[in-house]
Amino acid sequence: MTRESTHCFAADLGGTKLAAAMADAHGQIVAELTEPTDRRGGAHVAEQIAASAHKLAQAVGVEATRVRHVMVGVPGAIDPLTGRVSLTPNIEGLQDFDVLDYLRGRFGPGVEIENDVNLAMLGEQTLGCASRCRNAAFLALGTGAGLGLLIDGKLFRGARGSAGEIADLPVGRDPTSQAAATSGAFELEVGSLAIVERYRRQGGAAAVTVRDIFRLAHEGDEVAAAVLDTTSRWVALAVATLQSLLDLELIVFGGSIGVRPELYERVRRALPSHFSRPITIAPSKLGDRAGLIGAVCAAARALRQEREPAEHALHLT
Amino acid sequence: MPFQPMASVTRQLSRRSVFEALLHRSPISRADLAKVTGLSKQTTSEVIDAFAQQGLVRPVGRTSGNVGRTAVLYELSPEGGHVLGIDLGARVTVTLGDIAGRVLAETDEPTDSRGGAWALEQIARLADRLARDNHTHPSRIRSIVLATPGVVNPRTGAIEMAPNITGLGHLNVVGLLSEKLGSPVAIENDINLALLGEIWHGCAQNVANVAFLALGTGVGLGLYVNGQLVRGENGAAGEIGYLPIGGDPLQAEARLQGCLEYQVGAHGIVRRYHEAGGSEVESAREVFERAQAGDPLATGVIEETARLTALAAATVVATVDPQLIVLGGSVGARTDFADKVARVLLRLAPRPVEIRTSTLGKRAGVVGALSVALNKLHDELFSVADLAAAVPLPPPRVHASR
Repeated sequence: MTRESTHCFAADLGGTKLAAAMADAHGQIVAELTEPTDRRGGAHVAEQIAASAHKLAQAVGVEATRVRHVMVGVPGAIDPLTGRVSLTPNIEGLQDFDVLDYLRGRFGPGVEIENDVNLAMLGEQTLGCASRCRNAAFLALGTGAGLGLLIDGKLFRGARGSAGEIADLPVGRDPTSQAAATSGAFELEVGSLAIVERYRRQGGAAAVTVRDIFRLAHEGDEVAAAVLDTTSRWVALAVATLQSLLDLELIVFGGSIGVRPELYERVRRALPSHFSRPITIAPSKLGDRAGLIGAVCAAARALRQEREPAEHALHLT
Repeated sequence: MPFQPMASVTRQLSRRSVFEALLHRSPISRADLAKVTGLSKQTTSEVIDAFAQQGLVRPVGRTSGNVGRTAVLYELSPEGGHVLGIDLGARVTVTLGDIAGRVLAETDEPTDSRGGAWALEQIARLADRLARDNHTHPSRIRSIVLATPGVVNPRTGAIEMAPNITGLGHLNVVGLLSEKLGSPVAIENDINLALLGEIWHGCAQNVANVAFLALGTGVGLGLYVNGQLVRGENGAAGEIGYLPIGGDPLQAEARLQGCLEYQVGAHGIVRRYHEAGGSEVESAREVFERAQAGDPLATGVIEETARLTALAAATVVATVDPQLIVLGGSVGARTDFADKVARVLLRLAPRPVEIRTSTLGKRAGVVGALSVALNKLHDELFSVADLAAAVPLPPPRVHASR
C-alpha cells in the first residue's frame, strides 16, 4: 500500500498569472507562490504548474511524489467525459493540450481540474460570503465574464461542462454578429476591453485601463462615471436574466471588475428597475484569491477522505 | 419490543427489490425474480406471498415452451393502489393510473371560468367520476399530484404568480383538495411536470440535462439537471416570462407581466399583429393560420416571436448548458414554429443544442403529474425508512456485581 500523502496542492491558472498553494488536510495553506503565466501556453503552462508544485513541496520539505491530491482551476469549460478544456481564449494552446492527462502522469490519479469560476464559487461557499447557500452564483467580471453555479448545494457544470459560460449570454451586442461569435455578446459589452473602448468612444482620453476609469470616476470625471453607469446596466440585465432562469439566493460579484464597489453598487441600484422581485448581490469576500482558496478546499477535502475513509461509518446517537 | 437485528431493514430492502423487478419485468416467475434481484428463492417466495396477501400482485399465467414444469407468472395488481394526475390550466385534465404505472383513464373539460373554489370543486367532481367509471372506489386513490401554472413556494406550499387562473392565490389548495379527495395532494408547477412527463413517456427519455420551454398563453421554463428538477430558492426558477428580452424591461406592462411574456405570450402575439396593422384576430392560432396563408404582417409577427424565443433559449444554453431543449405549449409545440426557432438558434447559440418538440403535447403536464404521484406512492410503500434511524440501544441490564 502506498503511504498516505500529508499535503495537497492547489493552483489557479489565469491568463496573466498562476497562483499555487500547498496545504495540509485541514486546508491550511503552508506555502504559496504567484508567477506570471508562461505566455507560450499549452504544454509550457502544464509544465509550469507541475514545477510550481515541486517548488512548493521543496519549500515545505515534503517529497513532491507524495503530493497526490491536486486541484487545478483553469479558465475554460471542461468536458465531463474527456477532461479536455475548451473556450479558453486567454491562454494559448490550452485546447490542444491534455493538461489533466499530463498532470496525472506526474502526480497520479488524484489530480482533478475544474473551471476556475466554479472553484471561486466553492471557495465562497466554504469560507466566504455564500456559506449556508444552496442556490447561488459567482459572477466573475474582468477581462472576460464567467459564472460559477451552485444548485441545490452542489456545483453545476452542465451537460458538456459549459454551464456558466456567460460571455455568450445574448445580452448586449447583437448575438448574431461576427464579433459576438468569437468573443460573446455579453463579454463584448462588459469585458475590460469593452469598458475601455466605451470610454474612448464617449470622448475620454485614450490609453487608459479599467483601473484608471474607476479612479477617474472617483475624481469626478463624468465620462468615466457614465461609462460605469452603462456597464452596470448591462450587468444588471444579465443578473435579471440569471435570476429569472434560476431563482438564486445570492449572486456573488467577483473578478477584478466585479469586486469594485463602484461597479456592484451601481448594479445594486439598477436592479429594482430591471426585475420585479428582490435580488441579493454581494462582493466576493475572498477577492482575487477566491479561485485558489476554492481549489485548496477541494484538494484538502479529497485528502481528508483518503485519510479518514471511515468518516461515513454508523453513528450512535 | 423483542430484539430482531436488522430484520425490518433487510425485509424492507427485499420488498423494494422485488417490487422494482415486478415494475420493470412483469410478467415474471418467482425463479426469475430471484435471479434479477439476487435474493434467495425462499426470500423471494416469502415476499411474493406477502404481496399476494396485500393484493399487490396477481398471477397472470404460466411459463410455456420449456421442458419440465411450468411456473406461475406474476404482475403487479391494479388493486395495489391507484394514483391521480391532474392538470389545471385553461382545461382541467384528470388521469387515473395504477401502481404499475398503467394509465387507466383520462377525462378533461374547460376550467370553470369562475376559478378558485369552483375550479377545485370541479376537480373533485371529475376525479370522483373518473374513479367510479373505472370501478375504482375513490378511497383506493392513494396519491394525487396537481399541476398548476405559477410558482409553488417550496416552503409554504402556496401558489404564487398564477395570473391566468383567478382566485387561486388566496386558497390553501393543498388542504382543500386533500380534504375533498380524501388522500394527500401535492402541487407542482405545470411546466416542471410537463418536463417530467416528456422524460417519462415523451421525447426526453434517458436524457440527464433537459430544458422544457413552454410557449402558449404564457411562457415558462422547466429545468432538469443531473436527474433533478431545478426549483430555485423560492420555487421561481424558470419564470422566464420575466426575462429582459424583447423590449424595454423598465416599461410598465413589461414589468407587470414580464418583458418576454408581454411579447411572446399568446396575447402578445395577437397584440403585436394588431400593432403591425393586422385586422381583427382573437387568438394566436389565427395569426399562425394567416401566416400560413401568406399574410406578410402575420409572417413578420411569427418570425419575431421565433427570434425572441430563440434568444430565450440562447440564455438557457449559455447559463445551464442542457443536452436538449424541448419546445412545448400550444405555440411552442407547433413544428413549423419550432423549425423557425431552431434556425435562429443555430446562429445565436454559442454551442449547438438539440431541439425537439413535445411529443405529449397538451398531455405532458398530466403525464408528469401522474409520474410524480406514482413516485410518491412507491416511496410510501417501499422506502427503506428504518435505515436512517439510529441503531436501537439495548434495554437496561442489571449487573450482578453491584
